[in-house]
Amino acid sequence: MLGKTDKSAVGFVVAALVFFFIGGLLTTVVPPLVDKSWSQPFENNDPSKGPTGKLVPLNDQQLKGRAIYVREGCWYCHTQQTRTLLSDVKRSGWKGVDSPISTPDEFVYDTPHMFGTKRTGPDISRVGGKYDRQWHRTHFRNPRDLTPGSVMPPFPWIADNPEEFDALVAYIQTLGRCKNWRPDNDYEK
Amino acid sequence: MPGQLQVSAARPYGGAGSVSPVESIHEDTTAKWFLLSAVSYFFIVGIIALTIAAKFVWPQLLGTVSLLTYGRLRPLHVNGMLFGWLLAADMGLVYYIVPRLCGVKLWSEKLGVATGILWNVIILSAVVALPMGFNKGWEYAELPTPISILVVVAWVMFGINIFATIASRKYEQMYVSLWYIMGTILWTAFVYLTGNFAVLVTTGVNQANLNWMYIHNAVGLIFTPVGLALAYYFIPRASTTPLYSHKLSMVGFWSLAFVYVWTGAHHMLHGPISQWLQTIAITFSLMLLIPVWTVVYNFFATMKGQWYQLSENVPLKFLMSGVVFYLLTCFQGPMHSLRSVNAIVSKTDWIPGHAHMAVLGAFSFFAIAGTFYTIPRLFRTELHSAALANWSFWFFMIGGLGFFVTLWLGGFWQGWQWNNPAIPFIDTVKALKPVWTVRFFSGILMFLGITTFLYNIWATVLDAGSKTSANA
Repeated sequence: MLGKTDKSAVGFVVAALVFFFIGGLLTTVVPPLVDKSWSQPFENNDPSKGPTGKLVPLNDQQLKGRAIYVREGCWYCHTQQTRTLLSDVKRSGWKGVDSPISTPDEFVYDTPHMFGTKRTGPDISRVGGKYDRQWHRTHFRNPRDLTPGSVMPPFPWIADNPEEFDALVAYIQTLGRCKNWRPDNDYEK
Repeated sequence: MPGQLQVSAARPYGGAGSVSPVESIHEDTTAKWFLLSAVSYFFIVGIIALTIAAKFVWPQLLGTVSLLTYGRLRPLHVNGMLFGWLLAADMGLVYYIVPRLCGVKLWSEKLGVATGILWNVIILSAVVALPMGFNKGWEYAELPTPISILVVVAWVMFGINIFATIASRKYEQMYVSLWYIMGTILWTAFVYLTGNFAVLVTTGVNQANLNWMYIHNAVGLIFTPVGLALAYYFIPRASTTPLYSHKLSMVGFWSLAFVYVWTGAHHMLHGPISQWLQTIAITFSLMLLIPVWTVVYNFFATMKGQWYQLSENVPLKFLMSGVVFYLLTCFQGPMHSLRSVNAIVSKTDWIPGHAHMAVLGAFSFFAIAGTFYTIPRLFRTELHSAALANWSFWFFMIGGLGFFVTLWLGGFWQGWQWNNPAIPFIDTVKALKPVWTVRFFSGILMFLGITTFLYNIWATVLDAGSKTSANA
């Protein structure tokens, strides 16, 4: 059958699209219909089933901070996914407590998604609540003042703009907080 | 033999005053527009590439200027290279190849030139928008929506022109390059719509899955098929050797058409996406070896007994090194998708090493070879300097290998360190500094390759112009 497609352009087009759409539809349209956790926001009140908590949509200030995170391309160097690897669970952890892995239901309000593909800096899927405002201000002015050896760029135009700085910090403090995995270990306490 | 190119005597760098009647029907204004602007963007975006490589070595460099911060220049580098250089060069070469394989003129030279102008508008808008921070937030799909819409319009104009030319062809049988070109036009349309528009109406993991289907297939179903179309055309042309097997090329094409689109989720292995989808992506990623190995075998078998030609023939050098890089990068890809390997290399600096071998080492090498081959023919002249072209090749080759190999070694080492949570993250950053320094200096070599390539092409074009006016 396919032997004839090198003589008939119409036959070719039909075959090329059919081949493409079998895999295309089965891997993009079908999965969200099968796996409901992709669209159901995280909520758990039963400690025996893992960490409790509830995913709530971001408020206006946090959304503004998220837009700054997108604009500055933070996501080119920081991933937001604690993978099912022991080292990820340890590295996302805090003060001896292991982090829960990231699950699809924690991200249902995210657009654009910020999972990322490259870790030039550390993963920040559970960074919310770990560092306070003053830490972030110093860090954005010059990351090397707090972390010698860091290659993160300085962001003086954010650190010196109170509205943008507050919004960005507000967003960062939400990351990974829908699961109550370390309620007694916050910097706030 | 079915599906063979008509091959004539070897003239790797064109030949003045030897325009056959068959050649003289072609106007080629569109091909010239696309190729010359692509080569120029290659140089301009090369400066950006070198700048962001330098920022890894000197993180304070240009750091207090928001327009020049890493996070805004990186998308300019990626989009500029993918769309400003590589896709534009590929399109220019398609405008050259298709009329010749069909034995007719391009359907509409006017539509083609309009497409070329629109493409330049797109790239120049991107150069302004991305440093200003207009970024949609999806990798490879950063361009703001109005620019993405223009890309779709330009692609439709390109598609109409190419399909109309193919529909009016004189030869019934279509050579394999034509299938790959038609496949590229059709699949790109759907892949681009998914990656730039379907993501707008989805969120979270569902959106990420569409985004990765696009990222993966931007390489797999855009740059791979159009790159292979060029290789299938220019390897027999540059070596004046008929293609080894028509049948094998069909196996390669139809397995690529079927297998590639399934693999997007392998970008999220171990991540928050359904395990069964990860397993499907892994299975199909391994099957990718079928289209790759059949294609590469076909090229190697074509070159059997002809390898000596590489010493004097720069386009062929670029083509066959591109084939080797293609084989290597497409071996890495399926291996990365194995869960055990992925746990080490994913998210590390190995990945840019892998990606650059595909897009620079394989597909840009094919496009550079095609440009060196066609520009002298388009302008009815000889290449300005064959010796300088050879220098370009070695700059690209040594710079490229320096880049790829150090990032693989560094990335693998980084992955091992990450898997030991006792090592603080910042120590894994400090450990990579020598790697990033070597990468920067390899980048300088690659940039010398780009510069000599640009100079050679423009000097050829300007030489031709002055010769014509001297004769007139």
